[in-house]
Amino acid sequence: MKKLLTVGMALAVNAAFPAQAAVFDTGDLTVSGFGTMGMAKTNTDQVRFVRYNQAEGVSDEARIGLDTNLGLQASYKANDWLSGTVQILTRKGPLPGFTTDLTWAFLKAKVNDEVSVRVGRIVLPTFFTSDYQNVGYANTMMRPPIEVYSQSPIESTDGVDLTYQHAIGELNLTLQPFVGVARGRLSVGGTTATFRAPGYGFAFLADYAPFQFRFSDTTAKLTSNDIAFLNNLSNGARAAGFLDTASDLHFSDKKLNTSSFAVAMDWRNIVLQTEYTRRRTKDFMHIPNVDAWYAMAGYRFGTVMPYYSHNTFKTKGTPIRVPANFPTTGPLGAAVGGLIAPNGQNSDLIGVRWDFAKSVDLKVQIDRVKPKYKSGALLGPAAGYTRPVTVVGATLDFVF
Amino acid sequence: MKTLMKTFLLSALAATTLSAGAETVVIVSQQNAASRMFSEQASQFFLGKSNQFTPIDQADGSPIRADFYRKVADKDPAQVKALWSKLIFTGKATPPKEYATSAEVKKAVAADPKAIGYIEKAAVDDTVKVILTLP
Repeated sequence: MKKLLTVGMALAVNAAFPAQAAVFDTGDLTVSGFGTMGMAKTNTDQVRFVRYNQAEGVSDEARIGLDTNLGLQASYKANDWLSGTVQILTRKGPLPGFTTDLTWAFLKAKVNDEVSVRVGRIVLPTFFTSDYQNVGYANTMMRPPIEVYSQSPIESTDGVDLTYQHAIGELNLTLQPFVGVARGRLSVGGTTATFRAPGYGFAFLADYAPFQFRFSDTTAKLTSNDIAFLNNLSNGARAAGFLDTASDLHFSDKKLNTSSFAVAMDWRNIVLQTEYTRRRTKDFMHIPNVDAWYAMAGYRFGTVMPYYSHNTFKTKGTPIRVPANFPTTGPLGAAVGGLIAPNGQNSDLIGVRWDFAKSVDLKVQIDRVKPKYKSGALLGPAAGYTRPVTVVGATLDFVF
Repeated sequence: MKTLMKTFLLSALAATTLSAGAETVVIVSQQNAASRMFSEQASQFFLGKSNQFTPIDQADGSPIRADFYRKVADKDPAQVKALWSKLIFTGKATPPKEYATSAEVKKAVAADPKAIGYIEKAAVDDTVKVILTLP
């Protein structure tokens, strides 16, 4: 797989560099792609810095796996109103090593100039950049801020969405409701579990150049039966007679809601992007409520854009029923106590994007990650890790 | 890599010299009801924000194209490409059809009542309607 990926990357880069884009386009069938070649390391071997829902990540040895990916897309236009799109993405995700997933696979029917319907696999528009978060070239920052984007790690769903676009002068409004069933893998506490999550929601975008305002709301009923440590805790609580706690720890049909409000501006040389998100647990369970946000600012000097972002997340309580007589020590008490203890992290990052050639950019980014409780969003020891971690990364993003 | 940079710099240079003085006009089909347009409005179609009109583009890397996006949207080709990559790789839109010359753009625009394109002022004839002149 690694070899295959390297070959793929080489092909992709060759395709990206010639003066005329190497897009294969016969008029009806279009093949295109995007990718990132990255290298990153941190300054400690005590914890691992990961992208959200990624099993491996990096520590103090430089690795390509944190940010490297390759996406290939084929679109076929059957006629004026019907088209189909398939996209596969290779990267390091919740399983060890590089894996390839089907990220998009839908039929799109254009009802009229303002309305279209898509059926199939679609990426959930949970956050501002969710749709195109893996396309490094389309983003200013090297990676989506983990403090925010890890709050809802489900990326795609099998279902239906509708896009309604309406223009009032230069104000362009887009409403995208969706419903579907998501299935996939989650990287949880060092293990990988499978999940199923029927869900629904919408994204609303108001674009009034140079401003964008966006609001989205996503609700999912999550079931994950194979998180071993959680099942053990649930069984332990049941055996000790704490039936409510046992039921709350049983990860079945638990409703979670995530909402996001974002504002972005791209005016002259100034680029601003900020997003505030809240995740609320609607059933009794071990997953905490979380508030998270980031604020990014960049300034273009020709083809070079330095940027800065501050990111943060903080838990706001855990709606789990733990009675007063629940043990606070012993294996069960300690484990449940650890699970519901507060968590949070801030980070500051500076980076620079250089559009040095056609369809290719180079980014260098330094993150200073400060876990406040436990290990924040880092993969750390059971006892937690709250010392700052520095992450250095360089990526080459391309589209073809 | 060095050659690539050289090509890049040369084409950038070519873009600045060629565009100086040449007037670009935004055109629609004679069947299109529109008679005038502001550059902010025109830019929406070329940036994929509105699909009321179907944009027809000049060749990638051509001086007139770089000049057009600079004038209507204050964006350089890389910024435009980044914007379009958001739409392409989310299945929201397909990029505008490209033609190598103003004559071909004119022909494509004339044939489609919903199309909008841009060409050198000198290439205009009565098959198309000028709705905006860029300095």
